[in-house]
Amino acid sequence: MELSYELRENSGLQWVLERLSPMSPFGKAAGREPRWYAPGEEDALNEELDNVSLGLELWNAAGGGMAAEEECACCAAPRLDPACLQDAAAALRGVTRCLPLFHDIRGSFDRDPGNPFDLVELFEIKHFLVTLEQLTQAYTALPPFQGLSFPPMAQALVLVDPEGRRLPAFAVVNAYHPELAPLRAEKTALEKAIRAAGEGEKPPLLERRRELAVREDRLELEVRAELTRKLMAYREDFLANMDALGRLDLLLAKARLAKRYQCVRPVLSNGTALTLHGLRHPQVAGELSDRGEEFTQLDLDLDAGCTVITGANMGGKTVSLRSTVLSLLLCQCGFFVFARSARLPLFHEVALILADSGPGTGGLSSFGREVHLLDRLLERTRGRRFFLALDEFARGTNPQEGAALARALVHYLGTLDCMALMTTHYDGVSDVAGAHYQVAGLVREIEGDEGEDPRRRIARRMDYRLLSAAPGAPCPRDALRVCRLLKLNPALMELFQADL
Amino acid sequence: MKKLLAPLVGDASPVTVIGLCKNAGKTTAMRRLMVELGEECLGLTSVGRDGEATDLVTGTEKPDLYIKAGDLFATARGMMHLCDVTMEVCALTGVMTPLGEVAVFRALSDGYIQLAGPSAAGQLPALAQQFAQLGAARVIIDGAAGRKSLAGAGVAGTALLCTGASLDRDMELVVAETAHTCRLFACKRPENPALCAALDGCAGRFALFRPDGTALELPVDESGAPRWNKFPREECVFWAAGGITDPLLKTLARRGAPLTLVAADATHILAGRSALDLFTRTGGTLRVRRELSIAAVGANPWSAYGWHFDPEKFITALRRALSLPVVNVKEEGL
Repeated sequence: MELSYELRENSGLQWVLERLSPMSPFGKAAGREPRWYAPGEEDALNEELDNVSLGLELWNAAGGGMAAEEECACCAAPRLDPACLQDAAAALRGVTRCLPLFHDIRGSFDRDPGNPFDLVELFEIKHFLVTLEQLTQAYTALPPFQGLSFPPMAQALVLVDPEGRRLPAFAVVNAYHPELAPLRAEKTALEKAIRAAGEGEKPPLLERRRELAVREDRLELEVRAELTRKLMAYREDFLANMDALGRLDLLLAKARLAKRYQCVRPVLSNGTALTLHGLRHPQVAGELSDRGEEFTQLDLDLDAGCTVITGANMGGKTVSLRSTVLSLLLCQCGFFVFARSARLPLFHEVALILADSGPGTGGLSSFGREVHLLDRLLERTRGRRFFLALDEFARGTNPQEGAALARALVHYLGTLDCMALMTTHYDGVSDVAGAHYQVAGLVREIEGDEGEDPRRRIARRMDYRLLSAAPGAPCPRDALRVCRLLKLNPALMELFQADL
Repeated sequence: MKKLLAPLVGDASPVTVIGLCKNAGKTTAMRRLMVELGEECLGLTSVGRDGEATDLVTGTEKPDLYIKAGDLFATARGMMHLCDVTMEVCALTGVMTPLGEVAVFRALSDGYIQLAGPSAAGQLPALAQQFAQLGAARVIIDGAAGRKSLAGAGVAGTALLCTGASLDRDMELVVAETAHTCRLFACKRPENPALCAALDGCAGRFALFRPDGTALELPVDESGAPRWNKFPREECVFWAAGGITDPLLKTLARRGAPLTLVAADATHILAGRSALDLFTRTGGTLRVRRELSIAAVGANPWSAYGWHFDPEKFITALRRALSLPVVNVKEEGL
């Protein structure tokens, strides 16, 4: 599945990806385009999640700052014994010390083998191989990550470091060519003579030096061409190592993110049911905590077919959609999820259709755009299992037709191999849904805070929890109260109230 | 060879060689300094590209840089094939230029090199540190030429200022311009320690203080530019982070109240002599947040455009106008 820019932004996946902190250029590239695990790739995904679990244990051992119960909540992988964790923490430091030192040298290998590497490229290759050697030494002391290995590069390293001194510098040393040593000795002697010579004697000496320098340059070119030919034979191994470095770096970054935000490992459900308990949206939670407020964690149990969410305006319905979609996307990209516990099935496609159409919708109104996106999705996913989240579908048209369309869609989705979650203000939509959730709503009666920020006043009165409701339960009528809390113009309010 | 420049720069590092114009003798001075410093391990780089056999701007012949084995130099990757020393690659700097990334090399033999270093002065301190880690005892920077682009001189250490007949046909004007630049480089930090601390903490484009360092509210218009006519009438200190230009000085001069203007350092003062004179005549004082120094002035009486000054007269005139040592890098004792 393609993770479109819109989906990343709307779900909050982009926000999460921006908080990943891979250390190497390879990890950064891997983090920009995370691998998508489709249905049928459960084993590979479980392997990835096992690896993230292991990474998390290692970070916990290295950091040591986290309480034991928090660790347990996150890990379903076999526990490592504490003594071995200590050594592993040291090895992890060895690995993370090396990762930022890498440069991306993939471009150097994208060449015709007849085109020799220049000195700086050879320096970079040597630097890569020496750093890789240090990293793999530390890596072998770690408990093994599954499916992640580094092809040995010892022979390539001998090519760029014939003296085996592992110095962080590269030059075409005399050992590369039998003619280099005598030529350079002659040139050095000449240069000494030039230093001692008077101004008048210099020109012929400098001319002789120039000839030697040209010959030296030719020999060096010969050496570089030969080295390039030999090194290019290891091209696939170089690329495989860079790939493995990217994967390792991304795994460790995922684990560090899970530690920082106390994410949980999702369990892959074999059936069709989806369970998310203690679900939160990290981006919204972050904004709330900046304002000194707290995110109300959500509990959702979904089954095949369409589930409808109703509730007051500003009751967090859209946030619950975004949180669910984010969890599914993260899980299928091999991340831990922002919840207390999660049991998730895999889908071929996860889609989120929001009512607010941004600019540049290609001549479509918000209603037209919704319908267009829905149609394309249904076309694309024919015969394949998908997840669809819809925010107030068909709210942009007349209410009678809109409600009928929403009802028809809920009904239709129930006949497909899919799971859907739809928020709505229309009555009668939940009648045909598989399940119905309602936001607890404006339940708290509070007096005496009239002077405060309306957003805060609404938040104080609002219970954001999602409660299971009976199919057909009427949608709450809270628009009047919300308008009053938002301090809508009194004259207008009066007319509004009279008309109800 | 008689040591002319080495005693003047002392132990300072980096030494930045800057020129008032093209063909002011910058590379000659640099070459001379390198020879005078003898066996010292040097770290060499330039601001932008320099060291080419013919000057790319004026087409005149320029001296090459011939370095000794053991010296370090930082140049762009695209310059590698123009260097004929036996090279060892020591490090990459991460600084990108139009000629490729700047890398640090060690010369394993004597020979010619071409320098094309970082083009922004802000990248030089990190490079100087890298040189030091690799064992350079002193860093020499081939700085920019042209008084309005003294970028690169804004690093710690000291500078060698090169001036010459190429700047103008009129010797008196050359001397006056040189004196003006030296006067800018002689600008001091304010004396009040509290004011200095307040200035060091300035991150914005403009700020206003009392002479004792307490902050004053700066009246600004919608675009964020100061509203000069709303400045308090008391004596105040005005901080401007960017370039100090003629219009800015003239505006402040028209205000007619005593004011201390603080620039980031001397290279940020782009204003000409007449505007600066007007500013100081009307009670203005110029100060800098960071002091820079010029160790000596190198003079080149030969211009690239066909006219020449009498060497004796030119040196004498400069010595009379400047309180700094003046040397003729081309003739004395070479």
